[in-house]
Amino acid sequence: MSEEAKQSSSILIWLTALAFLIGMAAIFIYVPTEQMEGAVQRIMYFHIPAAWLAFFSFFIVFICSILFLWKKEREWDIYALASAEIGVIFCSLVLITGPIWARPIWGAWWVWDARLTSTLILWLIYVSYLMLRYQTEAGSMRARFAAVLGIIGFLDIPFIHFSVLWWRTFHPPPKMISPEGLGAGMDTSMVATLMLSLGAFTLLYFVLMGQRIKVETMKDEVEQLKKDHLYSN
Amino acid sequence: MHTGAPVIAMNRYLNQVRAIVWKDFITELKTRELFSSMFIFALLVIIIFIFSINLSIVKASEIGPGVMWVAFLFAGTIGLNRSFMLEKENGCLQGLLIAPVDRTALYFGKLISNFSFLLIMEFLILPIFMIFFNIDLIPHLLPLIYVIFAGTLGFCTIGTLLSSLSANLKSRDIMLPILLYPLIIPIIIGSVRMTSQVIAGEPLSSMTNWLSLVLCFDVIYIAVSIMIIDFVLEE
Repeated sequence: MSEEAKQSSSILIWLTALAFLIGMAAIFIYVPTEQMEGAVQRIMYFHIPAAWLAFFSFFIVFICSILFLWKKEREWDIYALASAEIGVIFCSLVLITGPIWARPIWGAWWVWDARLTSTLILWLIYVSYLMLRYQTEAGSMRARFAAVLGIIGFLDIPFIHFSVLWWRTFHPPPKMISPEGLGAGMDTSMVATLMLSLGAFTLLYFVLMGQRIKVETMKDEVEQLKKDHLYSN
Repeated sequence: MHTGAPVIAMNRYLNQVRAIVWKDFITELKTRELFSSMFIFALLVIIIFIFSINLSIVKASEIGPGVMWVAFLFAGTIGLNRSFMLEKENGCLQGLLIAPVDRTALYFGKLISNFSFLLIMEFLILPIFMIFFNIDLIPHLLPLIYVIFAGTLGFCTIGTLLSSLSANLKSRDIMLPILLYPLIIPIIIGSVRMTSQVIAGEPLSSMTNWLSLVLCFDVIYIAVSIMIIDFVLEE
């Protein structure tokens, strides 16, 4: 790794740490407590960014899968893997923070509401994607199969969305992105804090991506070295 | 001459598809292995459900459609699992891939045979379902056939693609349902909803949203499979 790349990655890490520090201060000190829901509503500033990051990661998996099938370059496979892992982690975070928020507000840990259900299904799809990756030996077959699943999994999202929506829904209509405009119905300080948190999470995504890609590239190098020096003599 | 070439190519393609379907049917007629196991399994699923639900409390017409589709789904998974695993034995798949056959023809052949096996099994299960759940399906038979047709096609399009993929894995029996079930949840919800509406006597026109969702699913996944089957069946 070049000196320059190392430097820029450490700058990114520090920037992310700073963003999170400011974000935390905003969430716990700056932003006022919601009148109806109370302190528990502050979990929103983690819940929504985590959900955004999960969807974003899965979209990147989709794009990288297409690019892999098109170009057949190992790097796209690595990007897809890294993004899928990050996506599953943040999707799990959504599924954990959601019930914590729902318990005092809706009076139940889990309700079979449209958005909860579709997040759960999405989580299942990408967990199965990772299982497929871990259970197959490294090589072209694993990369191809994973890419195929990355594509059909993402294309399934609109179907899941509508089917679950027509099935049943309890969620409040989206406040953040609504027909009345971005952030209508929310206090400006709340929108600002949410934006800050979204920015911090997005930065975190790139930090994690960079680290995961580095690990995977190193693994490849180790494999190559093993092949060259260990098995040949 | 000019118009002839595409027609000949089309005919050749259809012949390839037909050959694969024919091969599957001949094998099945000879062994009767797959069909009998699918049928008995579906029957068992229905019976186990009847024991686990108290039918004197729950209304049969409410729980019935769900049970029916779960039985179809589980039995269908057995069929899909066998579909490409059979080819893996003795290197048949290798032979098929070496043969001058288009990969999409291979996909369509497998899709058609999986789809028809499952449909035949489903129509044999229906009368048994009718008797066990005490639901009269005969007045609603036409819309019901339509719903079963659309739902089963959706299940088979994506199922055939994934079974061609999972046949190459070590833990194929387990991986196929794990990969398949989350993806077909929209189909399951749609089919169960439509089936219960049909049984309640509603016309198909009252469920256009579900119908279009399921049909869109069918069309999109057939198109996607055509595009990516080459990458799955690569040696």
